[in-house]
Amino acid sequence: MDILNSLLVPILDLKLLALIAIGTFAGIYVGAIPGLSVTMAVSILISFTFSWEVYPALALMIGIYMGGVYGGSRTAILLNIPGAPAAIATALDGYPMAQQGKAGEAIGIVTVVSFIGGFIGIIALAVFAPLLSDFAIRFQPRDYFLLGVLGILLVGSLSGESLVKGIFAGALGVGLGSVGMDPLTYTERFTFGTDGLRAGVSFVAVMIGMFGISEGLMQLHTVNTPSVKQKISRIVPSWAQVRKHLPLGLQTSSIGTIIGALPGTGGDIAALIAYDHATRVTRNPEVPFGKGAIEGLVAPETANNAAVGGAFIPMLTLGIPGDAVTAIMIGALFIHGLNPGPMLMIEQPDMFWFIVSALTLANVFMLIFGLTGIKAFVKIVEMPRAVLLPVILLLSIVGAYAVGNSLTDVYWMLGFGVFGYFMKLYGYPLGPVILGVILSRLLDDNWRRAIISDQENLWMLLKGTLASPLSLVLFASVVLIFLAKTPLWGLVFRKKAA
Amino acid sequence: MQSQPPRRPGELIFTLAMVGGSLFLLWSAYGIAGFEALSSPGAVPLVTTAVMAVCGLLILRDTLRKPAQTSETVARDILPMPVVVTIAMVGAYALLLKPLGFLPTSFLFLTVLIRFLAGYSLPRAALISLATVALIYLLFRVVFTVLMPPGIVPEGEILAWIKALFAGKGN
Repeated sequence: MDILNSLLVPILDLKLLALIAIGTFAGIYVGAIPGLSVTMAVSILISFTFSWEVYPALALMIGIYMGGVYGGSRTAILLNIPGAPAAIATALDGYPMAQQGKAGEAIGIVTVVSFIGGFIGIIALAVFAPLLSDFAIRFQPRDYFLLGVLGILLVGSLSGESLVKGIFAGALGVGLGSVGMDPLTYTERFTFGTDGLRAGVSFVAVMIGMFGISEGLMQLHTVNTPSVKQKISRIVPSWAQVRKHLPLGLQTSSIGTIIGALPGTGGDIAALIAYDHATRVTRNPEVPFGKGAIEGLVAPETANNAAVGGAFIPMLTLGIPGDAVTAIMIGALFIHGLNPGPMLMIEQPDMFWFIVSALTLANVFMLIFGLTGIKAFVKIVEMPRAVLLPVILLLSIVGAYAVGNSLTDVYWMLGFGVFGYFMKLYGYPLGPVILGVILSRLLDDNWRRAIISDQENLWMLLKGTLASPLSLVLFASVVLIFLAKTPLWGLVFRKKAA
Repeated sequence: MQSQPPRRPGELIFTLAMVGGSLFLLWSAYGIAGFEALSSPGAVPLVTTAVMAVCGLLILRDTLRKPAQTSETVARDILPMPVVVTIAMVGAYALLLKPLGFLPTSFLFLTVLIRFLAGYSLPRAALISLATVALIYLLFRVVFTVLMPPGIVPEGEILAWIKALFAGKGN
């Protein structure tokens, strides 16, 4: 009964319902317009909603997240420019379809399968998160520490051109997160004697700088690229077409949910793996992959939307983000005085069921908005970037200032924005930085708890890790991911294959 | 054999700065608690910065091995004029925000940047900026109640006028 009441909260409260609808609508545009990312939008939004109650703030952010993941497919199909990294695979077959005059058909099928994928991810969240949460209570501090390391390592190894740069970025994030007074001993860390650093570096300033300003600066390289105009044909797909691709959609939704639930991985990786799966299991596609195969749209789009529900599983049960957006959402929950993890699920189950319900509503709104107003949408996407980018930069500055009414935060934001811009230019992934900032406290606290409980003895800690099945699996995963990216691995396996 | 992507202009300087910064942070982390205990407040920062330093050195080795990119230049591909002007404009915005206030600073910021980036005429850029700033102000100052520095603008009177307008008393 309590669950039902919590599920009904966003449905019966018109304000929350409207915020989810507005968020989803805005998210579709944010995701679709190249240069605007969901991560950027959610990070800017935190600064404006931090004084709100937690439910309205979450309602808006969830809507933007769900709409944004789907919205990225629009420009991937229409312009061959993925609006979000999760839509990279969608462009491979979506754009050829648009070139053949089937842009409407492609958008229609993508909308419906995104809805299906999103729905499966939410069901997985509702079923597995409570189970995982019960299990997570038994996690030892060393398990949390290993999970944190695993998350940073995973996102570092998958999101950039090199694992070393990914690890560097993750370590930088952990270092940034530890700036200020140590909460346990009140020792100053990396403050260099300045008062302004005692409270730490503003998380929101880092986030907006890294994802708002740096992305905006990168987009300036292509600011005068002329927009391509597309004609829209039939939009709503036939039931026969949906039914035909449902089996593949269900498989790739499961892939998306699992990949999304892995700490540190998100919709972009899920979509690419699902696309690869589709090319292997589809024996005789009507149109070859890469030339406009419907299967090439179904697989990535079900997977990336399923990954949304999946990404919330580790976030809500373990306090470990599934991807960059959930990392920012954890930051938002911290700002609202909440601490995601197994205790949140036990002490505030209403929050969990509210999120499930809000995600479901956002998924429904995504379907409605996705199938309507496409022609007007095409016009807005054609808006010149030279006008859009200054507005995004202005919003970023206002957002950074608004959190603490402090110009220092604006300077931090600018500093991190320029730094993030150079990192991007030279191939460093930014995702691990923000993940590192978020996980810094978890890593630090749990490392210290773990080593204190083992009497400051590293050998005892290792023995305990090897004796516990869960710790052993996590430890082995960390070692394997690391080894898999070293030349040694390639040497051994190439020799065996030969 | 996999071919190495070429080294971009400025990449070596950036990498050297990363290595230098990491070593400096490692030294600072050592200064927190030295090797006092594995659970000391400096333990995680020490390991983190050591990881940064090791990774930085590995990246430096890889960067040195890369062949230099000859077709790219700093002025065109790394710091083109729009990027330099935009960074300067954001800095100028932060400097002028307190003395001038949110409304005039934002208007100037948008007008200059839109004129520069889009090449629009001054009146057209100013008109777009005016409409955008008005929308942002209404949304964030009135709806989200975000406090912004009023500066030289009599913001209290403007807000009172907007409230009166919505209350049906505006004249």
